[in-house]
Amino acid sequence: MSRPGFVLEVDDRTPPLIVHEGLGFRLESFPLGTRVIYPPESLPAVPDVDQAIQDALLHPQDMDPLPELLFAGMKLTIAFDDISLPLPTMRPPDIRGRIIEHVLTMAAEAGVDDVELIAANALHRRMTAAELKHIVGERVFRSFYPQGKLYNFDAEDRDNLSHLGTTEKGEDIEISKRAAESDLLVYVNVNLVAMDGGHKSVGIGLASYKSLRHHHNAKTMVQSRSFMDHKHSAMHHSAWRIGRVIKDTVKVFQIETTLNNDIFPKPYDFLQKREWEWSVKDQATMLGMRRGLSVAPAKLKHKMFHDLRSVYGLTGVNAGEVEAVHTKTLEKVHQQHLVEVQGQSDVLVMGIPYVGPYNVNSSLNPILATCMGLGYYFNSYLGQPVVRKGGAVILYHPLNEGFNQLHHPSYVDFYEEVLAESTDPAVVGEKYEQQFAEDPWYRHLYRTSHAYHGVHPFYMWYWAAHAMDHVDEVIWVGADRKVAARLGFRAATTLADALEMASGTVGSSPSITYLHNPPHLLAHVK
Amino acid sequence: MTERSVAQQLEGQHVLLTGVTGFVGEALLHLMLSEVPGVRVTVLVRPKGSTSAASRTAALLKKPPFAEVVEAAGGLEALMAARVGVLEGDLADTPELPTDLDAVVHCAGDVSFDPPVDEGFRTNVLGVRELLARVREAGPHIHYVHISTAYVAGRRRGSIPEGPVPQVVDLEAELAWGLGQRQAIEHRSRGTEILTTERKKAEKDHSRAGLLTAANATEEARKQWVKDELVRIGTERARSLGWTDCYTFTKALGERVVEEHALTNRASIVRPSIIESALERPYPGWIEGFKMAEPLILAYGRGELPEMPGAADSIVDIVPVDHVVAAIVAVLAHPPEVGTPAYFHVSSGDRNPLTFGELYQNVRAYFDDHPFIAGDRGATRLPEWRFPGSQSVERLLSTSERAFKVADYVIGHAPRSDRTRDLARKLDQQGRRLEFLRRYLGLYQEYAQAELQFSDGHTLELFRSLSEADQERFAFDTAVVDWKVYLQDIHCPAVTAPIRRLDEVRAARKRPVAGAQKALAEKPGVAAFFDMDGTLLSSNVIETYLWLRLRELSGTERFAELSRIAAKVPSLLQAERRERSAFLRSVYREYAGARLADLDAIADEHLTDHVLARLSPSAVRRIREHRAAGHQTILITGAVRPLTRPLLPLFDHIEAAELAVDDRGICTGYLASSPLVGESRAAWMESYAADNGIDLKQSFGYADSHSDLPLLAAVGNPVAVRPDVPLFRHARKARWTIVDWSSSTSSTRSLNPAGGLA
Repeated sequence: MSRPGFVLEVDDRTPPLIVHEGLGFRLESFPLGTRVIYPPESLPAVPDVDQAIQDALLHPQDMDPLPELLFAGMKLTIAFDDISLPLPTMRPPDIRGRIIEHVLTMAAEAGVDDVELIAANALHRRMTAAELKHIVGERVFRSFYPQGKLYNFDAEDRDNLSHLGTTEKGEDIEISKRAAESDLLVYVNVNLVAMDGGHKSVGIGLASYKSLRHHHNAKTMVQSRSFMDHKHSAMHHSAWRIGRVIKDTVKVFQIETTLNNDIFPKPYDFLQKREWEWSVKDQATMLGMRRGLSVAPAKLKHKMFHDLRSVYGLTGVNAGEVEAVHTKTLEKVHQQHLVEVQGQSDVLVMGIPYVGPYNVNSSLNPILATCMGLGYYFNSYLGQPVVRKGGAVILYHPLNEGFNQLHHPSYVDFYEEVLAESTDPAVVGEKYEQQFAEDPWYRHLYRTSHAYHGVHPFYMWYWAAHAMDHVDEVIWVGADRKVAARLGFRAATTLADALEMASGTVGSSPSITYLHNPPHLLAHVK
Repeated sequence: MTERSVAQQLEGQHVLLTGVTGFVGEALLHLMLSEVPGVRVTVLVRPKGSTSAASRTAALLKKPPFAEVVEAAGGLEALMAARVGVLEGDLADTPELPTDLDAVVHCAGDVSFDPPVDEGFRTNVLGVRELLARVREAGPHIHYVHISTAYVAGRRRGSIPEGPVPQVVDLEAELAWGLGQRQAIEHRSRGTEILTTERKKAEKDHSRAGLLTAANATEEARKQWVKDELVRIGTERARSLGWTDCYTFTKALGERVVEEHALTNRASIVRPSIIESALERPYPGWIEGFKMAEPLILAYGRGELPEMPGAADSIVDIVPVDHVVAAIVAVLAHPPEVGTPAYFHVSSGDRNPLTFGELYQNVRAYFDDHPFIAGDRGATRLPEWRFPGSQSVERLLSTSERAFKVADYVIGHAPRSDRTRDLARKLDQQGRRLEFLRRYLGLYQEYAQAELQFSDGHTLELFRSLSEADQERFAFDTAVVDWKVYLQDIHCPAVTAPIRRLDEVRAARKRPVAGAQKALAEKPGVAAFFDMDGTLLSSNVIETYLWLRLRELSGTERFAELSRIAAKVPSLLQAERRERSAFLRSVYREYAGARLADLDAIADEHLTDHVLARLSPSAVRRIREHRAAGHQTILITGAVRPLTRPLLPLFDHIEAAELAVDDRGICTGYLASSPLVGESRAAWMESYAADNGIDLKQSFGYADSHSDLPLLAAVGNPVAVRPDVPLFRHARKARWTIVDWSSSTSSTRSLNPAGGLA
């Protein structure tokens, strides 16, 4: 049985703790009294994955078993989460591929022959053939990709979008035409963290800019407290409204999976152990890795980390009606991630690791790093933020990876032109979002190359809006000063310096909380 | 002696002055106008361009030192009408002189030490001869005062008397030789001997840009050679006869002409030594332009003169300009007898010697107290001179020059980077300093080592013959100069003042932000021409070729292909250095046997990522800015068309090389037409511009290498993008915009789902 998460209070016996910072990590000695939030240890995986999938498909929540929904001559579409999930990438076989195989087997048995597989990448970059193959598996890839039946969703392909109407709040609903016109839409997700899944899957993953702009904006994002709690997230409320309208026209069979916290494979598993429990071997590996990283060139470090594949265990798979399924899913996610925390602190410390949803096989540029820290990690709470209103956030990341021109062309311009003018999410959105969203060159790259949509950097910035609104001070430890300044933040060399800099906001002996993340955790702040 | 005063003696006289636009002439004019009220002056002035002699003279009299004189005369026009006549004319073709002249003072002359030999002879010998002919025409009693130089003594040693320079030179033969040299050298420069070397050198440097560019460079080099050669043979001839350089040589011959004239006329020869800023008149430290010592003083103050040839105890013979002109006026007032020319040394070395060591100490002391502030880096470090002797200075210099040559070669062949460009910039600065040192040390070495002592007994006698009032008014006893005061309080401040002003202006000017470019104005008929490899992309043709080829091959074949290419790299690089089109042809030969349609497909499927990942974000932004401003965007590349496919949406027109195919659609390995490189780009741009109504003068060009020089030169707004060293140098010289569009360093990797650590 795995141990639950807990809150450590740093005392004089506490060893230096791991803090991730991009393509590397450091051992940090935190001030005495710092609260360190550790996630629960990995939950046990289901013993037989195929059996679990079969069970879920045959005994869905609030819906007929899948075989009964399938019939010859029907139009079946299988949509699935893209490469942004899970993080890091799963070692093959990917759970989505295994589920899709089961679904396809049942479809074949029912004599369905009009099947298309769509990656629900919304405004994310098109995946390469290899990346698609990795998700769906060799066999499915071979049978569908060459015929053009397995493809990335194209949110700018006007001929293949359908407008399903608007919600009661006037939000447009425009999704993939094929998905909308199918007799059955099966959605296969990976519910890595609490914000994934539910109505977010179809309503966002297969939607166009016209639809997304209603909830991906600074105003909504500031009111999403937090993204990890769909009941208190304005963005999720919008997705839920949209999802309920979609449900009226499209029959969606949602399959959600939950994973445990086994993200670092051997020999890096020391990264998910508690530092004082490291074996001699763990310590040796850690030292060797630190030494190696200190001399390795950036390219090699990048390869080392990005080649890492996680050996997640499946903790659950649920299928059926979206909301019923999602309730079950969240139970599991909470079981794996939730840690109870008593009260807020003045300072929140977070280490940004090398990978986020939008830089798989790419580089974590400063905007993505900001989104990781102030967007995802900051929002890893239920109840109230870990840091008090007007407190300080200290982040670790060198902000020196630059931009990947293939994947993030609009990010470069966003950084050079938009952020140079303002870093206020509401201001930049008001002034520039439209222009970037409709730029023909970005659109061309999004559709034909492997670029994120022109508007995507704005979304990254909006994700951070709630945090920027909530805290008074953001300081990056070990970051490039110029870059931090461009983002509107400050940089410090060490934690001690950062605390010194923050003392104007939070005093000289603030209460500090460090989120020991990754592995993923969700702080339930009472 | 109680004689009439100088002013009284010159009362009512009419004096012709030449060279009043020069330093000594101007000082002389000033002294005569302010202290010899009874004299009427006519100045011989050459019209310059559209400015007439009269207006040049008027401009001269408007200068601050003349303010008092002008005011006393009741205005500029009144002064000119009453006392300053203007005779327009050139010494090369002297006009008729007024017939009522009493005296002529000839200050004009070439003051540079290393004039081309023909110019030296023309001004210093022929000019004097023609002027004297006119003087004789104008009247029999005119007193001619010739301003020469003490250094006509040449390479003699020891005490130099105030008398004729003993010489055995055949004046007519030398004159004829000197005047004929320009033509002779011009002829020689067109011989194969010179042209072949220069052309080969130019082609080596410029063939990548094209033969016409190389031809232009050859012609430039030839002209430079003519200039240098004229100087060189002048110096050589002077030294072969015992003079230091062409200047003193021709000046000495000029004296010979005067001496001939003196046989039948009255003539005085005034020989000042090194003339520097004024001691008192018109005000202490008055100086016009840079004379002999100033460049050295400034260079020393900037810390750029590490050492000086010459001994610390050798004498530097300096005289303030007001002493020189006072002596001239005194000489004017005391004409000699016909047949016995009078000689006057205006010098300080005999009675008030200033040694090189003292000069150095004083200049150093001045700069210690008033250092140049080099930008924001504090005071300049001053070199410590130890006077090691001219040989070791020469060794130091020639070692530095050799080191510079090696560094220059290395830089020219180094891969381009910010560091290389920075090094190139510093190296060029170093090169300019070395050139300066070589030139000045070469010139001054002679003077610094000269152990000459000009006896000035005659001049002193003249001085003592003046009344006390005149001695004060026309002070030219150089023994009174306190060198410490003169150098530290008068001369150095005067010399450095304009530089300090310039430094202040420079410091006040805001430093332009590196790489910042002006916003583009919307204008019709404007185009922006872009080069591809190196400008838009970080990759080059070889890399791209490999990429395309390797896609088609299996593992072992891939290895074989890589090794084959690796073995060819040196020859490819050489081809690239030699001529770009040859290089491209040899690369495209490798496409033989490929199906064009396949190449297109591969380009679309795989190359797009490769190209887009290497695309410089700033470049794309710039292209898009041009489009937004309504400019046409045009890509010109020597790469084959399939490789440009990913960039199609950014450009209005792409001019790329076409691969020739046979009837089965298979590449022959040849191109359908010559690749568009070097000069052919400029030609293409011109015809494209003419066809499409584009104004090249308003247009923009972006390129990165020396071979793109014609592309950049063809437009009005050239921009060098991360240039290679030769282009960098050219761009700096031509003040072109230089930008740094570095492309992203992070490369993309294709997903290997199995992972490297499984």
